[in-house]
Amino acid sequence: MGKHLATRMLMSVPVLLGVLLLGFLLLQLVPGDVARVIAGPTATQEVVEQIRGDLGLDRPLVVQFGLYLFRVLQGDLGYSMINNTPVVSELAEALWPTAELVIACLIWAVPVGIALGTIAAMNRGRWIDRAVIAISVIGVSTPVFFFALILMIWLGYHWQLFPFLGRAGPIWTLEGLYGIVLPALTLGLSFIGPVARMTRTSALEVMSADHVRTARAKGLKERTVVVRHVLRNALIPVITLIGLQAGFLLGGAVVTETIFSWPGVGRMAVGAILARDLPLAQGAILVLALCFIVINLIVDLTYAALDPRVKAS
Amino acid sequence: MSDIVATPAAIPVRKPRPGMLRRLVRDRLALAAGVILLAIMIAALLAPWIAPHDPYLTTRRRMLPPVWEARGTWTYLLGTDSLGRCMLSRLLYGTRATLMVGIVATAIGGAIGMAIGFIAAFYRRFDGVLMRINDVLLSIPAILLGLALAAVIGSGLNAIIAALVVATIPTVARVTRGAALVVMAQDFMEAGRSIGLPDFTLMWRYLALNCISSVFVYLTLRFAQSILLGAVLSFLGLGAQPPAAELGMMASSGRNELFIAPHIATLPSLMIVIIVLCANILGDALRDLLDPRLRKL
Repeated sequence: MGKHLATRMLMSVPVLLGVLLLGFLLLQLVPGDVARVIAGPTATQEVVEQIRGDLGLDRPLVVQFGLYLFRVLQGDLGYSMINNTPVVSELAEALWPTAELVIACLIWAVPVGIALGTIAAMNRGRWIDRAVIAISVIGVSTPVFFFALILMIWLGYHWQLFPFLGRAGPIWTLEGLYGIVLPALTLGLSFIGPVARMTRTSALEVMSADHVRTARAKGLKERTVVVRHVLRNALIPVITLIGLQAGFLLGGAVVTETIFSWPGVGRMAVGAILARDLPLAQGAILVLALCFIVINLIVDLTYAALDPRVKAS
Repeated sequence: MSDIVATPAAIPVRKPRPGMLRRLVRDRLALAAGVILLAIMIAALLAPWIAPHDPYLTTRRRMLPPVWEARGTWTYLLGTDSLGRCMLSRLLYGTRATLMVGIVATAIGGAIGMAIGFIAAFYRRFDGVLMRINDVLLSIPAILLGLALAAVIGSGLNAIIAALVVATIPTVARVTRGAALVVMAQDFMEAGRSIGLPDFTLMWRYLALNCISSVFVYLTLRFAQSILLGAVLSFLGLGAQPPAAELGMMASSGRNELFIAPHIATLPSLMIVIIVLCANILGDALRDLLDPRLRKL
């Protein structure tokens, strides 16, 4: 188990380094002389040179990258070029809304997806199976923003059921819970398709396994067979899928946040890129990458905990 | 993870049989999807000739609804947008741009990915290194690539295409390698080698042509993915810039009039759904016909 975790963590090091390098390169694109900007227009040349030396701006790029890594490890991501606030504090504020959104999405979409997939597998070849397949194919073929637009027009505007702009408060307050419904529905709709599809395939595979035939042969109720013998095994690939789809989920979150003006990391990243606020963009992209890596690690751990075969290897 | 398809020997190599097309035709749904996709492609290609109006010409007849609604007119079949531009014409031109992004990205990424996959399968000494690099690339979410490249290069179709290419390469490389490994285990490869054929001939005539069909099927599905992702990036404002017509961007700019004239945002979105849905259905059907092993990918 420990070894498994260690290997997985080692695997994510190159990705993390790559993203850090990218973040560093992004900062190199900031126009103008950084030392001059910090010193201010009236500073003497000596002061500028001193700041340059302090920041290591006169050293080779490789050394500068090292210094950058050192600063990032200390939690220093620089200052936003537009608000002049520390990037880290901006990101800290945006992180929780994003987490809220992702959790609120997974909480409803994963069970619904699993249920749909299981129902389809139990009724293989019948109309209900075809309907589930159709739903999931349409689901994976629809851009997230289309779900968002439809929900906004109908649930938000015509029927005025839920608010659709901004975040009123944390999820545990009533307004917050009310306000997260549409964003979470949007993100979840795009996630049901892959989950249902994977559950169906996986359940069908397990259903033809020997132990299921044995379970049926000894006269267990169909419900018991499905819940205890099929689903338990079928869900393992589904959990992996959630890990594999973490990037997809992240992309969906970026779009959902942008449309619903949800103050999360994704909207921050897009806004920063469009405004050419490169330090903020760098920070937001780093955090998104970190989220992705952490989700994958959690999935790997769950996977290992559920499947003893992984633990053994 | 990368070894799902690498089960050589057991599965015989299947070449597309002559009855292939006939079997596809029998699958009504796939046939319909193929026909619709082809029609959309032709319409997009002919956009300059069949578009009823200039897609950039602004008029004073703003936000006209489509013809089937009460205020619709026959002059503007699908209505006009917030600047009074003809929606149908913009839709045609936008589809053209969106399809172009998807095709170019899939073609370039597919070609590079295939080359990597073939090399990894043929020269096993490079396999380890190539596949490790591949795994790293594979683990970077495409949306991050898009955001990062847009930040570096600046927003525009180039940034999007670059991101889609980088996202396509590792997946295609993995599928190609898997298919190629199966072929590599066949006797005719050994036979070709023993009569002293040069590596290039072996790779092209013996290896590539034998697995190219399954790779192409995968590319159909990948094309759908690229269109979807490209549209999303454009929607975020990182792709095509106004006044250019591109489906994702059009949907995004329609957000301002979402409640007064919903068709400005929903029609381009619907177009994307139709294209991606057809490509997915077609790809799924082709895959089931040609190479059921790919089902899990």
